[in-house]
Amino acid sequence: MRLSDLLRADVLDPNGENVGQIHDVRLVKDGLDQGLFGPAYRVQGLVVGVGAWGSRLGYDRGGMKGPYPLKKLFQWFHGDAKFVEWSHVTGIGDNVVHVDMAKEELPAVPMLRQ
Amino acid sequence: MGEPLVNETGGRIIDAGTHLLDRQISDKDGELVGKVDDLELTFPEGGAPGASPPFVSAILAGPGALGPRLGGGVGRVVSGTHAILHPSTRPGPARIAFGVVTKVAANVELAVSRDELDVVRVENWVREHIISKIPGAQHAPQ
Repeated sequence: MRLSDLLRADVLDPNGENVGQIHDVRLVKDGLDQGLFGPAYRVQGLVVGVGAWGSRLGYDRGGMKGPYPLKKLFQWFHGDAKFVEWSHVTGIGDNVVHVDMAKEELPAVPMLRQ
Repeated sequence: MGEPLVNETGGRIIDAGTHLLDRQISDKDGELVGKVDDLELTFPEGGAPGASPPFVSAILAGPGALGPRLGGGVGRVVSGTHAILHPSTRPGPARIAFGVVTKVAANVELAVSRDELDVVRVENWVREHIISKIPGAQHAPQ
């Protein structure tokens, strides 16, 4: 499987409701050892949202600091993106990913910096 | 900006599309190899979705990786050109195993020379078999 097979795929919840598209794939460096690189990057989860422009600029992730007018504008357009832990992925089809959590239950995307 | 986020075991957390895709790749001598056009994700021991999560096993670079990612007419042109120019009859993307990656930062650094990699072999093949046959190609610029 390629990363591009996941990016822009639609995410459907158990009710068949479209949660949005996969904007990014979150990785954590704690997988199997890969020689010189050390622990592999394993997939932690999926960043899912409805708007693409704000996502490309990082405005769909919690904690984005500004500029304030842009932050509010993209929030109004897209709302905050949702985060799907990989353990909630139940199936991968052709340009579609099925998850076992309802859209309303999915958490916001955690910040990448503390 | 604060410290990069880590998980409970100290593993650094990044977003693949934002922090890996389209980054430049440099070899052990600092020479440019190409860029990260896609990533190969592998399920450990053939695992299924929801069970063991996949891990990043390789960087895919070159037109063989970029074409399918772009999709549409432009993607078909890129993939088609790659298929015509590639010496193999069934060319895939150039693959760089993550085991030779030493660092992921502003660019991706490798522990090997660019001449050992598939992504450069195609470039060399095109130079030897096509470019060198163009009249005047053997003459160095004055």
